[in-house]
Amino acid sequence: MDRQLNNAFTIFLSLLVEAIPFLLLGVLLSGLLLIFVDERRLTSMMPRHPILGALVGSCFGFLFPVCECGNVPVARRLLIQGVPIPVAVGFLLAAPTINPIVIWSTWVAFKQQPEIVWLRVIFSLLIATIIGCVFSVQKDPRPILQKLVAKSIPDRAEKNLESDSQPMLLQSGTFLLGEGNSPIPMDESLLSSAVKKTRGQKLRLLLDNTIQELRELGAVLVLGSAVAALIQVAAPRDLILSLGQDPVSSIVAMLVLGGVISICSTVDSFFALSFASVFTSGSLLAFLVFGPMVDIKGIGLMLSVFRPKAIIYLFALAALLTLLLTLIFNLHFS
Amino acid sequence: MLDILAIAAWGILFLKYWLTGKLALLIHPNYFGLVVVTGSVLLVMAAIQGIQLVRSRRQRASKKRAIPIDPAEMQHITLFPPGWASALLLITAIVGLIITPQVFASQTAIDRGITESAISTRYQPKSFRSTIPPEARSLIDWVRTLNANPEPDAYTGQKARIQGFVIHAPELSGRYLLLSRFVLTCCAADAYPVGLPVKLDRDRQAYKPDTWLEVEGRMITETLNGKRQLTVEATALKPIPEPKNPYDY
Repeated sequence: MDRQLNNAFTIFLSLLVEAIPFLLLGVLLSGLLLIFVDERRLTSMMPRHPILGALVGSCFGFLFPVCECGNVPVARRLLIQGVPIPVAVGFLLAAPTINPIVIWSTWVAFKQQPEIVWLRVIFSLLIATIIGCVFSVQKDPRPILQKLVAKSIPDRAEKNLESDSQPMLLQSGTFLLGEGNSPIPMDESLLSSAVKKTRGQKLRLLLDNTIQELRELGAVLVLGSAVAALIQVAAPRDLILSLGQDPVSSIVAMLVLGGVISICSTVDSFFALSFASVFTSGSLLAFLVFGPMVDIKGIGLMLSVFRPKAIIYLFALAALLTLLLTLIFNLHFS
Repeated sequence: MLDILAIAAWGILFLKYWLTGKLALLIHPNYFGLVVVTGSVLLVMAAIQGIQLVRSRRQRASKKRAIPIDPAEMQHITLFPPGWASALLLITAIVGLIITPQVFASQTAIDRGITESAISTRYQPKSFRSTIPPEARSLIDWVRTLNANPEPDAYTGQKARIQGFVIHAPELSGRYLLLSRFVLTCCAADAYPVGLPVKLDRDRQAYKPDTWLEVEGRMITETLNGKRQLTVEATALKPIPEPKNPYDY
């Protein structure tokens, strides 16, 4: 008993020591972008085509390296600014995985199985794009969004259409000539963004933001690592083996775990790693792909954007697609 | 305030593990640098935030107002009641500072299942050098060599000198012990044991589990549990102190 507790504690600490540097990096970067990048300019460049839009939205993670805790607010801002639904959904589902820090930490954890690293990226992209396309069937996003979000869309969306059809010079209003050659309309989008702050204030904001996120995500990480360590030490090995070696049950178990464990995507690969010796590769992939898309603590946050029905569709589709892809992998490639 | 303490405590913990060499018990040496930088950054962050806290208190005392920051701009979510998250982090760091992590022992190896050659699925040798003379091969080198060429007879008669800790594997008879080491690819969470059976000229009770030994001998093929296995026939066994870094990579 004593030995097991000690082992659990060692595993627990080793997970934390390995994961916290990546957590800090992720939090710092997402804070930097939140404060220093004007995403409104980016949103005006989004493609309207559903497949392309979903794909572009999925790859947005490279610009906003947020994990699943940071992506809902960003997706919400994108939607409010009139970004097409496929882009927003693609971003929501894939951004926590398709970003440089997550890919790096996954590679650190699974250096011995590089296929896990790239399949994680490919599967996430694929699933996010497919679901983005499914949601693009809904031309008017307002019915699936929460009232508050929906209400702030209409005039902006129309304005967007207007500016698409009308050359900049013919529009009325105040403009700024910034970097680059295109004039920036001087409206609320500029006033509310980072422009008006001094550098010192920005740095303070960054530090405050980093500490707050580190606190929240760090606490989740502590709990997640404790669960991982306890399962590894205390769960009967026979049970784990019988569950983890079967191609189907291992995936289902990992899907459930991925949904329940709200560990941040920058560090979830270390969590998965602690199961690597007993669970099928497909099930580890399922955890790594599905976990960042869906988790219990994120539901409350998602509800601030979508109506419940839309969220159920989103989760169900993501779960089924993950199951399908990883099952194919388990049965045919490993 | 609690935040600052928690962050500082983690910074101290990281640097303490590094300075006392305990980091080797937890993670792969490739990531030591990452931990050291993180520890320093955390300490700097805590220091800046601490200075600011003191300053803003002073300002408040002198009736000057600090520039307020709009909380909506942070866009972060709170999952825990206020104070809980920082308290949890602080407590974890303090426990970490008090309790020293332990090296895994033989019982853990038995629990995790010792692999003699099955690690081939997990380990794809990158720096495989078959040019190492047999007597210079470490235990891990032997297991890797065995992965490349699993036929035990190929090694018969070769000299061996390996170090590891003793496991009394229940499936082996009293004349055999398993000399073993943990291999780490990332951190202790994925440490897995590898080992080779050692044939003794006496009962294995002479060598307690978890003692570290240097075994010299000759390679032979034995049939253990119905499986032909590469085995070291020991000619000399010498107890050695536990290495500073008990894992291999």
